[in-house]
Formats: sequence, structure tokens, C-alpha cells
Amino acid sequence: MTPGGKALAEFVAEATEILDALGRDLLALDEARDQEADPEHINGIFRAAHSLKGLSGLFGQERITQLAHAAEDLLDRLRLGRLTLDDQVLDALVDALDTFQSLLGETSRGEEGEDLTRRTRAMEDRLARMGSPPPVVEEDPLERLELDASVRAVFTEYEEHRLRENVRRGVALWRVRAAFDLSDFDKGLADLNARLKPLGEVISTLPSSRPGGATGIAFDLIFGAKVSAQELEAGLQGTPAELEPLAVRPPQDGEDGPAFDLPRSPDAAPPPSETPDTGPVTAPRAKRKKKGPRSQPLALEAGETRPLLPVDTATSGPGTALTGAPSSGVTALPLGSPPRMRAVESPSATTLGLQSAASAPVPAGRPRPEETSLRSLTQTVRVDIGRLDGLINMVGELLLIKANLQRLAETSRQDGTVALSKLFGQELSRETRQLERKLEALQEGLLEARMVPVGQVFDKLARLVRRIAREAGKEIDFVSTGGEVELDKLIVEELSDPLMHLIRNAIDHGAEGPEARLSVGKPRRALLRLRAEQKGNHVLISVSDDGSGIDESRVREVALSRGLVTASQISEMTRRELLNLIFLPGFSTRSSVSALSGRGVGLDVVKNNLGNLSGIIDVWSERGKGTAFHLTLPVTLAIVRALVVGVSGRTYAVPLNSVLEILSVQPQDIRTVERREVLDLRGQTLPFLRLGRLFLLPEREVNRHFVVVVGLAQQRLGIAVDELFGQQDIVTKPLGGRLSGVKGISGATDLGNRRTVLVLDVAELLEEGIAQERRRA
Amino acid sequence: MKFKVLIVEDSKVSREHIAAAVESVDGIEAVATASGFEALKLLPRQRFDLIITDINMPDINGLELINFVKKNPNYRDVPLIIITTEGREQDRTRGMALGAAGYLVKPFQPEDLEALLRRFLKPL
Amino acid sequence: MSRFEALLDAFFYRPDEDVSGLMDFAAGSDGLASRVLEEEPTEYLAFRLEAECYAVPILTVREICKVPLLTEIPRSEPELLGVMNLRGELLPVYDIKLRLRLADAPPLVAGPDAGLPPRAARILVLKTDAGPAGVWVDSVAGVVRLKPSMVELSPAGLRGDRDCVAGLGRKGSQLYILLDPEQALAP
Repeated sequence: MTPGGKALAEFVAEATEILDALGRDLLALDEARDQEADPEHINGIFRAAHSLKGLSGLFGQERITQLAHAAEDLLDRLRLGRLTLDDQVLDALVDALDTFQSLLGETSRGEEGEDLTRRTRAMEDRLARMGSPPPVVEEDPLERLELDASVRAVFTEYEEHRLRENVRRGVALWRVRAAFDLSDFDKGLADLNARLKPLGEVISTLPSSRPGGATGIAFDLIFGAKVSAQELEAGLQGTPAELEPLAVRPPQDGEDGPAFDLPRSPDAAPPPSETPDTGPVTAPRAKRKKKGPRSQPLALEAGETRPLLPVDTATSGPGTALTGAPSSGVTALPLGSPPRMRAVESPSATTLGLQSAASAPVPAGRPRPEETSLRSLTQTVRVDIGRLDGLINMVGELLLIKANLQRLAETSRQDGTVALSKLFGQELSRETRQLERKLEALQEGLLEARMVPVGQVFDKLARLVRRIAREAGKEIDFVSTGGEVELDKLIVEELSDPLMHLIRNAIDHGAEGPEARLSVGKPRRALLRLRAEQKGNHVLISVSDDGSGIDESRVREVALSRGLVTASQISEMTRRELLNLIFLPGFSTRSSVSALSGRGVGLDVVKNNLGNLSGIIDVWSERGKGTAFHLTLPVTLAIVRALVVGVSGRTYAVPLNSVLEILSVQPQDIRTVERREVLDLRGQTLPFLRLGRLFLLPEREVNRHFVVVVGLAQQRLGIAVDELFGQQDIVTKPLGGRLSGVKGISGATDLGNRRTVLVLDVAELLEEGIAQERRRA
Repeated sequence: MKFKVLIVEDSKVSREHIAAAVESVDGIEAVATASGFEALKLLPRQRFDLIITDINMPDINGLELINFVKKNPNYRDVPLIIITTEGREQDRTRGMALGAAGYLVKPFQPEDLEALLRRFLKPL
Repeated sequence: MSRFEALLDAFFYRPDEDVSGLMDFAAGSDGLASRVLEEEPTEYLAFRLEAECYAVPILTVREICKVPLLTEIPRSEPELLGVMNLRGELLPVYDIKLRLRLADAPPLVAGPDAGLPPRAARILVLKTDAGPAGVWVDSVAGVVRLKPSMVELSPAGLRGDRDCVAGLGRKGSQLYILLDPEQALAP
């Protein structure tokens, strides 16, 4: 897939998720049309519109951005109480969602239709013109709330509005205090919130340091209760919450009376206006206790000047029949219409709807070409990588069981004394092979699910290049290829830092300025290449430039002056070894570190990061021609086939993807060249390392060694072990955390006998083997 | 030593945008979290040189976070930058009154953020 | 101020350091709450190492388990006994006796030549900033509740063991050496 296509798919997937969330909240509002709107739903829709604006802006989706902006604007007014949510507004929002979905549909098909653009504009206008401001209230009810100014100071405008609303309606306000352990307070709070939710509205959550506990944290929840004090107390039974009422002074004049008894506060006696009978008649809203159905106020408030049959109520879904519209009783609606039943617009539409219900699933009237389909636009499912890890662990365990079955089958086939048992053994082993194949397929499928194109990182880096180049005063052409090569998600994530370092290095140290380049006959603009390529189980990534190259003599000088190597060591080094000195900790070729890239740390960190991914790095450079860094990485880290070996009674696993071959070697075959041990392998000298000796294990006398020849990129090393136990698929758990500094071990695995077996880090061992050679030289 | 900047922003898009802008400045490492709760958990565990926070967030809001940081002797010297949306003047003013060191209005240019970072993280 | 001091500071909270405003609001401005909190006992888990009784705040203990098979990590520091597999999770297990100078050499409990662990021995899984870690103890003594007034700071002269002794707790005739797990397991 092209990078653009991938990005678009990503956009559609994310936008779909946002619209789904928006739709859910909108539906909830719609279903409760006759009731007071739940502020949480309005806020939810606001957030969704806000996210959508940001997302589409980022992907340059102009039409969606504009409409999302208009919607966000309207919703902001709504949630801050500057606009009342009436049917008109709700209808507009539903239509806006419709438009969003159509827009997203076109986007996913790569279209941009004139019609829809016009419709979008009209929608924006409609949203902007929407609604009338709510009645103005003279006195700010918040003034009546006895709440410390310092607490009010941390409320957002929205929270303050919610608090005001609650005070205005005479809702009992509480401060709910609860202390939790710092390690899991979010769980505790979530539980508390879940309990509070059905009892009222959590207006704000304030954290505070609780004295006496370095590991504790306390929160104050400002809560508007729609239930009595007793009910609230009962509802919080068993939580660490403590309740404290927030006192509210009675309103100055005949304002809304409280819906419930005010919490008792020590000094403020209950206001006289509290008795429900004397409640002011001027406030019909306050009488609508709880969630009374619409018919109730209609029946009660006979004196109210409300049209008997308002147009909008006729279209408001459930309860429509109550209004006694001319087409009374006819509530059938066309199939396939959106869950919100709103297709009826004119008196005659009902009949039309009936006809169409019989014939076609499309609402009659003006069929819109871009009718929103309920089918999702994206074929992508987002999965938490942790879940995939869990599945892969599971496969690892299945593989262990399979190995046990295989052993059983083998035993019964060979040791079977009766023919029947032999037959059974054969049968079993055939089935086990079937199981093996299926398991392999499953494993492969899971690994594939973790694969993402490395282009994800490349794209980010491309943006960075422009910036860095500008700051460094360099002119750079950046070319990246192989972005479609796929790697494990985890590796791709971890790769961005090392690659960023290398690219900065190339721009900062590699590429010359335009003038300097012209003076040596090079094109004015430097070329920076980023390339990925798959080779078997590995992916090669290179970062190369056509800059000035690495000055070998300078490398030699620096390495010596910093005491990183001795003169005699350096005299024996090949050119490649010499260049590789730049990966040593504390190496920096520039005496003045540029302001741009506080370097000095750098390449050693890059090397380390790659090492953590079982990858290695190599450098090539030629004076005046350029520099190239080659990274070799495994395709996946999750499941690997490993060689299980034994040394001095211990068991280790060696990932098979770096094993080239296995030799059986007599002690006399080991030669000592300048006090280091080597083997002759087909005329070539192979560095040789005794694992037991390296790991400082008690050595055992053996009459032959098994030598596991490992290699990554051009490096080779023979690792001597005592025993070979065979091959097995293993799931490596990284040592991580406190043990991340352990050398030569990449992780541990379980081989099915309850015993933890360490997995060798081949890249690190290779390096140690080579370094040891250097040291002994 | 790299400067460590904590980013608190619930919107994924914004968070990544801010993190990218912060990390594009050399010598700064960004730790991005999606909520004030996560920030509260992180604060005692890691040392941050600067905090960038959104204001409107689901669990605790940015103002509460600022207040918490400024009232806590362990963190009160850590400068805070608020990032708000257009039209949120009241929230912004409150944030500044609570002790925020600076603010940015979305959508902002990475350069503006960088200028702020350089102002509060010295020597950078 | 060292990290250790900061920890102690947080532990021995002084109300006069409190700041007004939100903190007051949160803590209850009458000051009663903080006084009560100050005398609230903290729970510790007590255990034996050789002949001494040690204790760590119970909030730092994630779980206690029997000594499982341990796999030694080659070339690691002597305090690291090895790794254990706890329900699929890989945890390092440490011997803090060396750091506390209660022993000269780590016990041979991992690898092919290891003997069976003593029956009373346990591994405490402690929560630390650097991740969970197992600590070998000779036996678990139980939970003890100590009020701040029962705890005294170890004199500066005694704080040589890389700061891992946070103080001494006394309850009746029993003396508890309070360990700071963070420091005891510091690399």
C-alpha cells in the first residue's frame, strides 16, 4: 500500500471511531428528548467534535475540519449553557452526524463531490445560526454557594457552569472526600464514580496531597446529589468516601426552590422556603421531578401557554401517538432507516413511508445518493498490543504441550511391545504433526497481525529532516524507500529514536553546507537516503548520505586521546574495526558540539537501543563520498525457534535465526593465536568463545565441544557449549526492569518443565567476542 | 542530561502532535500521558523539568493539576505551560493565576512551543 | 536534600509546612485531621534475616511466596540470587544480607548444585520504582502496627549501609529494624 493510502486508511479508521462515539452520545440524547439532557452526553459529543476537528486537520481533510469546527462551536455553547438544547438543535446535530458520515464515505473512496461540499457548507451555516440563548438570570447563583475561592479558582469554565446550574436548581451539593493509595487510586476513584453516577452529577474532581503518606493521595469530589442525604450515604457504603455538605444560602427573591432537602450545615439553618408546598409557582421546571414522562406536565400544567400540538413533538419518536396527530396510530416506519425514527416530516409522509416499507428499504421522497450506510467504512480492528502478546504467550504454551505430545507419540511408537500400541503411536504422531502445522499457521497469523510497515516511522522522520536541515543551514534531498517492509510493531516503535539520531548525525556531521559542496564539485543539495529491505528473517535498514564521510585519522586520534584503545590495538585494526570505534561510549568526533544536536552521547546509545531489539549496527564510510549506517534487525521478537544448549549443567536457549551452523570440535582443533582461541573453518579463522568461561561457570572436562556458529551482518563467532538438547519454539520474556543491564542475556523462557531458561543475546555475545579479541591483541 | 517534559493531554492527536514538537527540540525527552490521573501517578516517580497540560480533560482538569503541582513543595518549582483552545480565555486566565508559566493556544506552531521551552529550560 | 531525606520528610509530615488554599480545603482546615493522621499507625511486614528482625511498610509488599526454582544470572552482582518465574512474570530475586553485612557470601540457592531451600524461607515480592523485585527472607514474622511515636530515626552514624535502614521501631521489648526497600534494592 502506498504511504498515502495507509495514512488515509488510518484516518478513516480513527474518524470512524470518533463518529461512533459521537453517535452513541447523540442517540442517548435523542432517546431522552423529553427529559433534561444529561450534561455528560453533551460534553461527550463536544469532545468527539473537538477530536474530529484535530484529527481531520492533521490529515488535511478540509471539509470535515470545517464542519467539525462549526459543530464544536455549537456544542461548546450548549455545554456552557449559552444555548438550550431543544429539538431543533438536536435535529441539526443528528443531520450533522449524517453529513460527517457521508463526508467520511467520500474520503475513504478518495472522492470529493460537489453536492456534498455544498451540503456541508449549508450544514455549517445551519449550525452557526442555531438556537436562542437561554433566559438571563440576574444574580449569579454561585455567589450563594459557600465554597472557598481557592477551590473555585481551579474549576474550568465548563465545570463552573455545571456547578452554577446545580446551585440554581437547588440541588444538594456535597464534598465527597476519599483517600487512596497512590498506586491504584484511579481504580478506587473509578469505583467511587460508578457509585456516584446514578445518584447525581460529579462536577469536579480535585486532587490534594494528603499529609502523612508518601504513598497516598486524597481527592475531593464536588458532587450534586439528586437523592437524599440518607440515600447518598447508603450508596457510598463500603467506599472510603467521607461526606460533607456544601452550604448554599437561600436565594434573594423567589428563585427556584430546592428539589431536595439541603444538607445540614452546622451554622446555616434550613431556609424557610424549603417546604415543597410553598414552592414558587413561577418555576415549572423545578416541579419536573426526576424523569417524568412528557405527558405528565402536559396534563398538570393546564394553565401553561404551550401549543397543544407543537410541530416538533409530532416528530419526536416514542410517545408520538399520545399527541393524537391526524394520522393517529400509524407509527410504522420504513425499514433500514436509522435507529432514530424521524423520517416523518409532512402529514402525507406517513403513507409514503408505509408504501416504501413494503417495497424498498430506502425511504421514499428524495432518495439521497450518498445515503449513509450502517456498514462500517473500515475493515480495521484495533487491538491492544498487550492482547496480542497474551495470545502469543498462549501459542507458546500450546507449543509446549505439542512438544510433550510428540514425545509421548515417539515413545509409544518405539517402545510399544504390542503391535496395537505401535499402531496407536503412529496414529498419535500423525495427529500431532497435523496439530503442529495448525499451530504454526496460528503462530504465523498472530505474528503477522503484529506487523506494521516501517514506513510509519519513515514518514515521521521525513518531517523531521526538513526542520533539522533548515536549522543546520543545510540543503538536503531526502529519499526513503522500502517503507512497505513490515516489522513487528514493537520493533518499529523502538526504531524511531535510533533512526532519528542517525539522521541528525547525517545532517549535522555528514552533509556539508551548500557552498562547501559546490567547491568540491558536488551538487549543491546533499542526498540523504533511508532504505529498508527484507532479507529472510531479518530486515536491513540503512541511513546513508553523500557527505564528507568519516575522517579515519581523526577517529584514530580521538580514540587514542580518550584512552578508548591502545596504540598497539589500533595498529592491528582493520579499517572497518577502526570505523566501528565511533560506537564506543564517550566518542564524539567534533570538538565543538553543535548547538543543534547536543551530541557526545549518541552512537553508543543508538547501538545499545538496537541491541535491545537484538539488532546490530555497522558503519561504512569513505572520505569525501559519504557515510552509511547499516542496521540489521529481526523481523519479530515474539516467538523464535531456538537451539537449546547445556553448559556446566545449566541450560540456555540460542535464537536459531542467528545460528549459521553447528560444529563438533575436538579440543586439539582449537588453536591459540596470540593468546586468543580460534578455530579454522573452511580456511577462515573463526573467533571462538567458551560460554562457560565467559559466564564464569565451573568448567567441566569434556572430550569434545559443540560449537554454535552465530553471525549477524558480517560478524561471525563460534560459541562453545557442552551439550545440545535440540530445537524448540520459545516465547522470550525480556528481562527488563531491574535486569535490563545484564550482558549477554536477552530474556528468559519457560521450556515446559517449570524451569526458567535464559535466552542468549547473540548480538551482545558477538560484540563481546570481538571486543575480547581486541583486548587480548 | 536531557530535560524531561511531561505532557498531559487527553486527545491522542494533540498529544502526539505536542510530543513530536517537544521531542524535535534537541536535549528534551517527552513523557506523554493521557490524563491528569496518570500525571499524578508519574509525578512522585520521575523528575520533570517542565509540564505541559491541556485544561479540559475528563478526570481532573488542568487547573486542578496546576494547583496540585504549585501547592506541593516537591514540585512547585516545575514550570507549567497550558495549552488551550481558542475562546477559552477564562480557563487560561485562571491557569495563569494559579501559577502557570506560560500558555499556548491551539492550533500552535511548533516554533512557538519551542520558544517557550527554551525560555523555561535553561541552558538549552 | 537526598532522596532518602525527602522520603522521611514526607513520612514525618509537619502541619506547619502545609500551604493554604486547596490543601487546607482538602485536609480540613480545623487541623484536627492532620493530628489524627500523625498518630495513625502504619502497618509493617516483619521478617527475620539471620538473628535480626526487620520490617518494611506493608504497602511496599506485593506478595509473599515460597522459594521457587531460581535461575542464576551469569556475571551478575552477588546480591542477585537469580530470576524466578511467578505465574509467567519474570522477577529478580535478591539477597540483602550481603548489603546489611549479615553474611559474607550469598547462599547457593540457584543453579544445578543448589540444595533445597530451608522450609521457613520465603520470597517477599516488593514494589519498587525500578519494578517489582523478590527478596529472600529466612522467615516471615507477621504484620506489626507501629505508630510514628514508636519509630525513631536511626542516628546518622549508623546510616552507613547505603541508607537502607530507615529507622528503628520498638513495640514492647521487640525491636524492628525498618528497611527502606528502595534503598535496600538500589543497584
